[in-house]
Amino acid sequence: MVLFENVNLRYGDGPAILQQVSFTLAPGSFHFIVGASGAGKSSLLRMMYLAQRPTSGRVNLFGQEIDQLKRHDRPLLRRRVGVVFQDFRLLPHLSALDNVALPLRVAGVAENKIRDHVTELLRWVGLADHVDALPATLSGGQQQRVAIARAVITRPSLLLADEPTGNLDDAIAVRLMYLFGELNKVGTTIVVATHSERLVQQFSHRQLRIEQGIVRLIPQRSEAA
Amino acid sequence: MRLFRSDLPLAGDASARFLPWIIGCMVYLAALALAGALSAENLAGRWHAELAGRFTVEMPPSPPSDEKEAKLRDITGLLSKIDGVTAVKLVGASEKAALLQPWLGGIELPDDIALPDLIVVEAGKAVDLAKVSVDLIAIDPAIRVDDHANWHGDLLAFSNSMTIVALIVLSLIALTAVSTVIFVTRTGLAIHRRVIEIVHLVGAQDTYIARQFLFHALRLGLAGGAVGAALAAATWLGLQRWLSGGNSGLLPSLTLSTGDWLAVAAVPVALAIVAMFTAQVTVLILLGREP
Repeated sequence: MVLFENVNLRYGDGPAILQQVSFTLAPGSFHFIVGASGAGKSSLLRMMYLAQRPTSGRVNLFGQEIDQLKRHDRPLLRRRVGVVFQDFRLLPHLSALDNVALPLRVAGVAENKIRDHVTELLRWVGLADHVDALPATLSGGQQQRVAIARAVITRPSLLLADEPTGNLDDAIAVRLMYLFGELNKVGTTIVVATHSERLVQQFSHRQLRIEQGIVRLIPQRSEAA
Repeated sequence: MRLFRSDLPLAGDASARFLPWIIGCMVYLAALALAGALSAENLAGRWHAELAGRFTVEMPPSPPSDEKEAKLRDITGLLSKIDGVTAVKLVGASEKAALLQPWLGGIELPDDIALPDLIVVEAGKAVDLAKVSVDLIAIDPAIRVDDHANWHGDLLAFSNSMTIVALIVLSLIALTAVSTVIFVTRTGLAIHRRVIEIVHLVGAQDTYIARQFLFHALRLGLAGGAVGAALAAATWLGLQRWLSGGNSGLLPSLTLSTGDWLAVAAVPVALAIVAMFTAQVTVLILLGREP
């Protein structure tokens, strides 16, 4: 599903962010990307959702080499990837419903199918009463749930989440992780970037641990045993 | 309705406020330029139709006499016998006064004012005017035949000049519209860079984003164009009314046919379409340059 091979990344003439990164994420797997703030977790995710090209090395997504993708093909691949951004990146002028509907609209889904589908999902994430609310009128946690709904509305094959629990209290963070777990059970490949060691310890998933630009794959506890 | 919905907040841009005014001004100028050219063409066409197939024989002024009457009879007799001539008409005193009215106003002409005698000849086919002149000079050496060729030539040159000027004005206006829309679109892309990035990240093609700019430009273009066209029509009708209300017959009447009005009405639509496609192409080019 996701293959990185000898990937290096640096911004301009700056220091290397990632060095010789190689790993494979199998379909239906669940991984944490772990590392301190500024370690390169977001950069690694950005390469997975095609917002960043590696300086060198090979990235393969869904069997397609990303450096050989034509501009026209990139959006088609992105539609198979759901992303929960660290800062949510909701469109401030659109309602919760329109924010969640955005991936469906850009994919050309018929308008009459969108409203029911999106309303149902917003109800599922506990925002049934905030369908028409603008992001600015929602709390941080509610905005995050809108962002999650937007990421999963298209039932993506790969779900990437950048510090998704950063703004949530512990109970909601755990609930969110269980939600990701449910999506994982139905076949979605999940990658969650977090700096929270406590969260990582709480759930037994494989880890991609970044330290000084080097990525190490750490198996889940059951595999290690 | 889906075509017109926008995920980008383009309606709140400063461009949404000033672009309709710019387009409105451009449509106003373009519509008046086109109306002027069409009106000049109509005027030339009318004058041409009035003069086509006609020539005028002019005999210098002279006091009434039996000899003059005899000459006029000879002239009309000679002209009537020419192959192709369908009518020969001596212009009467009242008609001559009417011809002078635009220059002299409604005053009554004194009886002793000397005016040339005019004979208007209508011909269904080409007439050898050189031969006709020779025959008429035999009757009176001072007779002049005028086939209005010079007048026709000037008329055609005037009409063509007006058309060329209108085309230049329309081209400059279209160029200005294109430049303005490119500037506005570039600004819009810069302002909404972050939103566009998100829309891209959820899987939008460049064409999806370009379509939003396209309909935004179309909406603004039509809104501004409608105002500009309405003002141009009001200006034109006012001008028409003012000219037709004057006493001087020297001023031309600015008439437009239904087809001409439709052509003028097409100006705002055409400019809106130009704005629409300019916006789309600009977005596609600029987004295509991104890595």
